Amino acid sequence: MTVLARLLTAAVIAVLAASPVHAQDAPAVDDDAIAVDREKGLAEWDGIVAVLSHPRCANCHVEDAYPRWSGPHYGATRLHAFNITRGEDGSGFGNAALRCASCHFSSNSSKLHGPPGAPLWHLAPAEMAWWQKSSAEICAQIKDPERNGARTLEDIAAHVRDDPLVGWGWNPGPGREPAPGSAEDTFRAIERWAAAGAPCPAG
Amino acid sequence: MRLTVNGNPIDIDADPDMPLLWALRDLAGITGPKFGCGIAACGACTVLVDGTPVRSCALPVGMVEGDVVTIEGLAGADGLSVVQQAWLDEQVPQCGYCQAGQIVSAHALLEEIPDPTDDDIDNAMAGNLCRCGTYPRIRAAIKRAAAEKARTGA
Amino acid sequence: MASLGKIARRTFLIGAAAVAGGVAVGYYVYRRPYPNPLEDELAEGETTFNPYVMIGADNAITVIAPRAEMGQGVATTLAALVAEELDVDLDAVTVEHGPASYAYYNSEMLAEGGPFPFFEEGVVAELMRGGMGAFGKFLGLQGTGGSTSVRDGFDKMRTAGAAARQMLLAAAAARLDVEIGTLATADATITHEATGRTLSYGEVAADAARLDPPSDVRLKQPADWRLLGKAQQRTDMRAKVTGAPIFGVDVSLPDMLYGTVRMSPRFWAEPVKADFSEAEKMPGIVKIVPIDTSYGHGFGVIAENTWAAFRAAEAIEVEWGEADYPQDSAAMSAFLREALAAEAGDALRDDGDVDTAFADAPQDRVVEAEYEVPFLAHACMEPMNATARLKDGLLEVWSPNQMPTLTRQLCAAMAGVDTENTRVHTTFMGGGFGRRGEMDYSMFAALLAKETGGRPVKVIWTREEDIRHDTYRPAAMGRFRARLGADGLPEAVDMKIASPSTIASTLRRTFPSLSPLGPDKTIAEGAFDQPYTIPDYRVAAVKADTGVPVGFWRSVGNSFNGYFHESFLDELAAAGGLDPVETRLKLMTDHPAAVKVVEKAAELSKWSETLPAGRAKGFAFTLSFGSWVAEVVEVAETDAGIRIEKVWIVADVGTALDPGIIEAQLTSGAIFGLSSAIGQEITFADGMAEQSNFHDYDAMRIHQCPAFEVAILQNYHKMGGVGEIGTPPAVPALANAVFALTGKRVRSLPLSREVDFA
Repeated sequence: MTVLARLLTAAVIAVLAASPVHAQDAPAVDDDAIAVDREKGLAEWDGIVAVLSHPRCANCHVEDAYPRWSGPHYGATRLHAFNITRGEDGSGFGNAALRCASCHFSSNSSKLHGPPGAPLWHLAPAEMAWWQKSSAEICAQIKDPERNGARTLEDIAAHVRDDPLVGWGWNPGPGREPAPGSAEDTFRAIERWAAAGAPCPAG
Repeated sequence: MRLTVNGNPIDIDADPDMPLLWALRDLAGITGPKFGCGIAACGACTVLVDGTPVRSCALPVGMVEGDVVTIEGLAGADGLSVVQQAWLDEQVPQCGYCQAGQIVSAHALLEEIPDPTDDDIDNAMAGNLCRCGTYPRIRAAIKRAAAEKARTGA
Repeated sequence: MASLGKIARRTFLIGAAAVAGGVAVGYYVYRRPYPNPLEDELAEGETTFNPYVMIGADNAITVIAPRAEMGQGVATTLAALVAEELDVDLDAVTVEHGPASYAYYNSEMLAEGGPFPFFEEGVVAELMRGGMGAFGKFLGLQGTGGSTSVRDGFDKMRTAGAAARQMLLAAAAARLDVEIGTLATADATITHEATGRTLSYGEVAADAARLDPPSDVRLKQPADWRLLGKAQQRTDMRAKVTGAPIFGVDVSLPDMLYGTVRMSPRFWAEPVKADFSEAEKMPGIVKIVPIDTSYGHGFGVIAENTWAAFRAAEAIEVEWGEADYPQDSAAMSAFLREALAAEAGDALRDDGDVDTAFADAPQDRVVEAEYEVPFLAHACMEPMNATARLKDGLLEVWSPNQMPTLTRQLCAAMAGVDTENTRVHTTFMGGGFGRRGEMDYSMFAALLAKETGGRPVKVIWTREEDIRHDTYRPAAMGRFRARLGADGLPEAVDMKIASPSTIASTLRRTFPSLSPLGPDKTIAEGAFDQPYTIPDYRVAAVKADTGVPVGFWRSVGNSFNGYFHESFLDELAAAGGLDPVETRLKLMTDHPAAVKVVEKAAELSKWSETLPAGRAKGFAFTLSFGSWVAEVVEVAETDAGIRIEKVWIVADVGTALDPGIIEAQLTSGAIFGLSSAIGQEITFADGMAEQSNFHDYDAMRIHQCPAFEVAILQNYHKMGGVGEIGTPPAVPALANAVFALTGKRVRSLPLSREVDFA
């Protein structure tokens, strides 16, 4: 629970996000198969983007500095109160004396409207923005190693399945609507989408 | 279970889900941290855990790893910390209920940023609600404390 | 009973607490001084001179400041009044709140209860003030509210200090066998200057207390004041920067139990069915008991610790009865609108002939508007709480409260003991703002104390209970019209305001057997009593009870009427093509104190200078609680929304006893008002308040807080209040600034319904 550990993690994430590492080349795919699978793939993508753009995920995948609040008793989607921001250091872990970890611990508060929690609670890097982005925009971002933390689609699927902070989206604590499906469902959907050539909808 | 609070080991018999705030107040008799909201939304309960300000009303006591410092533990032997003295000099408190949390947050801020700008203060202190509106004097007191710390090398 | 009923009918609704308190108190000997309650409180070697001063043989001086210290600094200023006359420094005295006692009646609290503007000094108004003041004494009403504490205490506390000093001098003169006139006092020491012999106050205190109080008490001239008029170090500061256990929630007693309450979220409704089985199974639970009071129905939970009580309260399965009032905010709004249309109301101001003035008004010279404000919660930082112990026939209540004698009375009734066997210990308060003038939280603690076999029980509400069971600032709606003259100034103004009666609502929950009579001036205060001269000028109040409990919220009716009156006046200035400051100055020429305040605010804020694009200022003036206050708010357009950059406050308080505390109170009051304007509202659905905690009922945070510049004037010949006066003009000054910035006239609050704030 120390700040230092969190900041180091944040720094690692920042470095990874910024590194000009290229994703592995996509495996060679049969053109006809792509044509056939594109419809199937887009259907899978619709399921995936329903998760990514869900408030449990998108509220902390923002382009600006402010996490969002939404849901019953929070009114229309709005800025997280208390002047909470990404942090002057850009880490996503908040500011001096008001880190995310001042309130967001490693598990959810059991109290209605209490702070949700998961390990390493923080804001996603700005280039991974989903909030108010179109399906096509999110799709392009997910596939762009410059903007997805230099991950392959396999990495992304595993990340969705295994990262406890991502997993929080399906276990968001009392009073919050979870993201659709489950981590496992979404992991498999990403696999199927990737297998179908990871098509993106027209922008 | 055993906690270290303000340098003292404290043995308490608490449900691990009990928020640290109530363990401190009702079981250990340490009442400096105040109950304001129970959902980490007002900052009145702020304490330091290993130097990090946390909202003790929302932190289960079973999850506490590290030394806890409350408002009662900020001062040295001479009675008041630099921040507390600045608070006194600027006559900050009105009702005073939120001030333990404000002062603890200000301590943490000055540990990380010894010479905070107005923006730094806004970024650090907006989690601490004050219904009396003592904010202008809080700002002045933080700056006074920063200057005093710089002057004395504290 | 009959005579009080007559008083209420003949005069006015002057505050439920007072009317009702009198009935139950039954104190009819108002000419006689009340007994000194400190006689029963003395420690070994301690002597008391009057209800405000105790001096120990060891020279320890204790001053009783019998008003609620809820942040406004009243303990410090009341103590300074005594210390000034006693010739001691403030840090040489210990300040205590003291017991609940009729001796600590507040006569000022009622003095302004009549239907007269503060500046009205005609025979009838003055008679009413005097009569109301005597009534306050007659009732023995110990209360803090209405920004009255220092006005009430100004003479009382100084007289207490001076009388004690004169008695000490007399005793010393006898001891030293010298003339009183040859003795001097300083630092709690009496010196015979010719011989250099000295006696401490403590050495002669016992002798002095046996003397009769002097019949002619001589007070210092203001020119001789050492403490008054200068900013003092507050006496409560050190405790408040060290986290000392001074608040109600900090009460700790041997063998103490803990508790909380779960009350019906539909006001006045009873539980239809309830199941405690899950709750009672939870660890640490001692007992769950029903609560049935005039404040509502529900359950109390007694437990081994607060958290266990909270959890069990949540686990009670309960179905509550239906609400017998409009179910939601839209219905309440419609109800107010209907009341405005259907009723003429009580005209608290009716100058000239308003109906005639509008009968022949050309349509293009008439401005009309409808304004509305929502219910508001107090949201004190310290949630409602109290601790009680009922043991051996003695009820003790530790309560952060603004009304000790009434708290004593209602708690005694709750526990079934006499008031003589009930003691109320008033703690420091984590905010009050009027909420702590209520008795519910103390009564609930007294009720739970009956169930613990003599063990004390500390009953703390959750924030959710606190927000959803407030006695809210009432919602209000106003319909206004004005006829503009050829010079652009209003020559006729007609205002009608509908709102639930705060006083009727307070009576319902404190003394339900009494029925409220007469008009309620709080509905129109801040609108009918402003220092503007307009030939045809009518302000009427319509009582419209929405069923939601409403109460006294910092500045009471002024909190919304300031907005109504001053934003409408801003509209009139705009319609008449006049500058808002110029308009006010022209309308208030009969009131030089007001003119000076407005001129000073315009000067400080550089009102006449043009601002760059994206910035604008708004102006407002209100007279409330006897003080004349102008505020200017400067706003700026930013990417994140409108930012409140700076606020200038100029206040004429008549006599400024502690400019440091007054400055703090002025900014505090303004921030309280701005907080409400930028985002607060309590809305209702299915008969229940929808908001519950700071995520949906927040207040201004430090990053939203503007810079302040404050000037305190002392021109008016009567002292005004301080604690509430910063609030009323803040809201309209901001709304008017928003209009100046955006061209958008926002006629309902919070302003965030129509514009975004950074």
